[in-house]
Amino acid sequence: MSGKASSSSQPSIGLSGSGALSHIYIQYPPLRCSIPESRGLHYDDGTKLLIPSTSNQIFSWKTVPFNPLATSTSDSIPEGPILSIRFSLDTKLIAIQRSSSEIQFWIRETSEAFSHRCRSDSENILGFFWTDCPLCDFVVVKNSGLDLFAYDSVAKSLDLVEMRKLNVCWYVYTHESRLVLLASGMQCRTFTGFQLSSAGIVRLPKFDMAMAKPEANSKPVLAAEDVYIVTVYGRIYCLQVDRVAMLLHSYRFYRDAVVQQGSLPIYSRKIAVSVVDNVLLVHQIDAKVVILYDIFADSRAPISAPLPLQSRGFPRSYSSSSRSSGKDGECSEVNNKIDHEGIIYGDNWTFIVPDLICDVSNNFLWKIHLDLEAIAASSSETPSVLEFLQRRKLEAIKAKQLCLGIARTVILERRPVSMVSKAIDVLVSSYSLSLKTGSYFKGIKTESTSSGVAKTSVARSSTDVSTSRIDGTSIRHESTAGVDSEYPSRASTFSASESEENASSAPLRTDSRDLQLGGGKVDRVNLTGAHSSGPTDNPVFVNISEQQDSELTSPAISPDEMYKFVFAAVEEEMVGDPSYLVSIIVEFLCSTNMEKIKVHPNLYVLAIQLLARNERYAELESFVTNKILEPSKEVALQLLESGRQNIQTRKLGLEMLRQLSLHHDYVSLLVQDGRYNEALRYARKYQVTTVRPALFLQAACSSNNSQHLAAVLRFFSDFIPDFRTTSDFTTYYGILNEMNTSVAATSF
Amino acid sequence: MGLASASTATDGMQLCIFDLRRGQNEGQELDKILFFFPADLPFSTQLSVIGLSEGLITFTRIFSPEAACEIIEAERHSHVFYEAETDIWMVMADFPVGKKLQLPSFRDCLKERGTVQMLTMGREAAIEVQSLVSVLDSCAGNSSCYSMILFHDLLVSTTLSPDDTINLFTYAVLRLSPNALSSGVNSWSYIRRGSTSSHFVSGSALTHSGPVSEQIYHSSDTSPVGNNINRVTRALQHGKWYKGKDGFLVTDIWGVDVGSLVCATPTVWLQQTEEAMYLCPYQFKSLTLILLIPVSSILNGEQGVALVKQQLLENASLKILKVEEKLSKGWGGENAYHVSGYRYLLVDGDRNISRASPPGKVTTLAKESLLALSKLRDEVDLEKSRAKRDNAGCEKDLEVSIRAKNNAWAIARITGGKELYMVLEKASETLLYASDAVEKFSNRYCNGAFSLD
Repeated sequence: MSGKASSSSQPSIGLSGSGALSHIYIQYPPLRCSIPESRGLHYDDGTKLLIPSTSNQIFSWKTVPFNPLATSTSDSIPEGPILSIRFSLDTKLIAIQRSSSEIQFWIRETSEAFSHRCRSDSENILGFFWTDCPLCDFVVVKNSGLDLFAYDSVAKSLDLVEMRKLNVCWYVYTHESRLVLLASGMQCRTFTGFQLSSAGIVRLPKFDMAMAKPEANSKPVLAAEDVYIVTVYGRIYCLQVDRVAMLLHSYRFYRDAVVQQGSLPIYSRKIAVSVVDNVLLVHQIDAKVVILYDIFADSRAPISAPLPLQSRGFPRSYSSSSRSSGKDGECSEVNNKIDHEGIIYGDNWTFIVPDLICDVSNNFLWKIHLDLEAIAASSSETPSVLEFLQRRKLEAIKAKQLCLGIARTVILERRPVSMVSKAIDVLVSSYSLSLKTGSYFKGIKTESTSSGVAKTSVARSSTDVSTSRIDGTSIRHESTAGVDSEYPSRASTFSASESEENASSAPLRTDSRDLQLGGGKVDRVNLTGAHSSGPTDNPVFVNISEQQDSELTSPAISPDEMYKFVFAAVEEEMVGDPSYLVSIIVEFLCSTNMEKIKVHPNLYVLAIQLLARNERYAELESFVTNKILEPSKEVALQLLESGRQNIQTRKLGLEMLRQLSLHHDYVSLLVQDGRYNEALRYARKYQVTTVRPALFLQAACSSNNSQHLAAVLRFFSDFIPDFRTTSDFTTYYGILNEMNTSVAATSF
Repeated sequence: MGLASASTATDGMQLCIFDLRRGQNEGQELDKILFFFPADLPFSTQLSVIGLSEGLITFTRIFSPEAACEIIEAERHSHVFYEAETDIWMVMADFPVGKKLQLPSFRDCLKERGTVQMLTMGREAAIEVQSLVSVLDSCAGNSSCYSMILFHDLLVSTTLSPDDTINLFTYAVLRLSPNALSSGVNSWSYIRRGSTSSHFVSGSALTHSGPVSEQIYHSSDTSPVGNNINRVTRALQHGKWYKGKDGFLVTDIWGVDVGSLVCATPTVWLQQTEEAMYLCPYQFKSLTLILLIPVSSILNGEQGVALVKQQLLENASLKILKVEEKLSKGWGGENAYHVSGYRYLLVDGDRNISRASPPGKVTTLAKESLLALSKLRDEVDLEKSRAKRDNAGCEKDLEVSIRAKNNAWAIARITGGKELYMVLEKASETLLYASDAVEKFSNRYCNGAFSLD
């Protein structure tokens, strides 16, 4: 169906796409958490554990990092109904909701249990969660409001810290955002929000969500499953489905305001929302397609056309007949069990924010992946594709490779300079930003400390970097998928507008950044191992172990890499007039100059070679005199080299050596040019003693002028002590005498 | 230097440029005059000067057909001849009223190609300019254009060969730059413009003719195409260029396009590539861009040119704005290159580039200083020609210092193809002091190029 569109757009970028008919996929095998006699399946987003249960036992699978082969740990618990389960953030306790009025706590270490019950019968427990807020550890959401408790580990009981009274119809909460939204009112569209951050509790202003009326007197009621809290680029948004208007409204949370940010159209009665690597995915379940949005800038335009979600690695793919059938045998077991045609967006799919899909009927857990290659191939708007790729960090290496490939392609295809220039701007400003935020070096550092080095020390230094950055830009963001919390590369224009925004209405995030930091921290500690104990004072970036050790954290491309993987690579392949490449290099210099980034001299050398090849010596000269090509020894030597064909260019090279005070090279070259008198003067002035006298003597000798030779001999006798005892002196003194006698002989 | 000195000369001196092939028929004699100084001389006098010169050329050719006369010194007059191109002659005639002029070799003055004055700019501006240049050079699609950019009367960038650059630069400064366009405002250019507009308006200039026009610099081997022999393009006419609404400069010197009734776009002949190019100057504030489009690449004449112009506006407007802004910011005014205490002329013979103290400052020099300078130049020219004769390849380093009657120092230093001439009126003390001053200047403004040791 959309195969055509996809395949026709790919060549325009020139990438060898993965042949995908989709932009996102789930990868076989899933995480299977089937257990015998399973009674229910729960997910705890605080600890990111997937928890199937039987009547007296619970199993827990870590979902971050996502590993299909992960094994579970199990806990035996008192028998009874299980409405929901949440592990404490340090995973020492398990809270189990037994009924609408009772929560049981199970202390894993000692296998003790205690219970918490509502005070009055009229109160209903709607839900609960653990928090890292300094005031409390545990929050119970009831229809009558919030109860905040502190856990007393000695008395093994909950102490009520605070109560917030208000009517609650239902609530939504994500640990990622630390934000709880409480719905109230007839239509359940009036919201009170609290953020329970490590900085304290922030109460958000009350606000109403927009809902279109189907007809005059009917009032639709908003349901909990129509509201999503998502975290994108470290900002907290709420997305709300309006089925009447067929719109997905978005709200952004600031400390003192909730601002509606515009709406996205929806094409399905039933939708679901995921976030992968800060890309918002809106699943149009009825239509079995997904639309991707990158809501980094103000644009609400989708990244690309709606395409289905693909499942990869299945022996027989549901849509692609071209898929090789070689692996058929492998998964026959799965084949038997699952009807592949029906699996995608089946009724038994539950979407877990941010990026998981739970197939409750099969007890499968899928992780959603972005197909960066397919996304890149589906758009011909190169600069925006690059911007998009530069913001990715989950697959930073892949994004980087794609960017380099795109950059090479647009140059090789000789696209208009203005367009290539924009593309280069994107890459350069992204690199510049990654320098400022430290993420570029962080990536390098991580690479170099791949093993053996104590994690914390690396983490500490990273923290320092990121802290200073926070102060600078007031922006921070937490990765939802747990790679790390670096801010992705972003265009400077954006960050400017961002800080303005901060100044004017103080986004919630900024003020409560400790929350974010702390949040990341606790997450990671719990994830990286149950063995770690003190969650609160661990550094933020302990998550290094979560990444592949050598993984880059930023797809930013340094000027050296631009030279090596783009310009030098392209130059080899390019045929015909090199002036196009010169123009591109100028545009690159323009960008780097704007960002005050240093360029590798090899790029200048390349520019000289190209100009010389075109015999554009006059222009080359203006490039050099105007310092478009910054002076360096490499540049000077290339000028000398290219100067073999053009004396002016050679002069420029000599001049540059002189101005760089590369005395030795300058003097040697003067001698080489036969300008030994000048060379001697210069050598005396700058005390250049490294050039062998023999060179001068040879040059003077070849002039066949005995006076010159005598002068040079005399010079060195004065200039270098003990020169008269060297073999050079003896040799050339002899030659001088011969010259004089022969002159004398001929004159007589 | 040559022209500048000539135009300030006394009444007795005339300079004319004429084309021997033109105006051979009766009644069309005026056609042969390409340039005459002083322009306000009656035509009859102009023609008689040219007639005399023509006669002398014809006469001497009898004896030396290949190389006609160079100089004729008579009691009442002297003539200096230079055949710039085949049949195009530059003649300087001197009819001394009182004393004879004492100037260094007249003929060298005529032969000397002009030099280009460059704008000095920072790296950032240079990169912006270069970025603009690539837009200009590629704005006619596949066929590559050439471009030249001027800021005020200074060259910013060029993609032309050095020879073509000098020619076009000189023309631009004289006729196209904002200074040249706004007549009445005195140009501070090193090359002075004539203050009165030309009197030799050709009656035929506005008459019909095909789009084929003559080139400025190339007095084509083929005689003017078209059936109208009277058609003469007088590219050097004053006050004939004006700025159109779209920012492009237009002129009717090249006639009017028959089809569209718009002014025909001038064409020039590039010596380097031997290609005819449309000349499209564009002006924004003090910035003048000259775009040269290969005639061969434009199939439908004026329409095609208009299309390229439009493309230029679309693609380059923003960059032009940016470049103008950057250059204006760094612009030091017309006395930008004045160095107080010094009167200097810096010539880079390899690149045909020069820079000098602003004219306003040079005119403050005492007569004695000027005489010393003139003497100095004589010496240098002599030395240079001797060096050239001795060994063609090698460059000679040279330093000459002359003490003038008013105790000023006139100093010349030549090294590595670069020449520095300088008058120091206040360095009265010693040669050492003067030499020191040169050294300082060299280190400060010439990257130490003239620092001898």
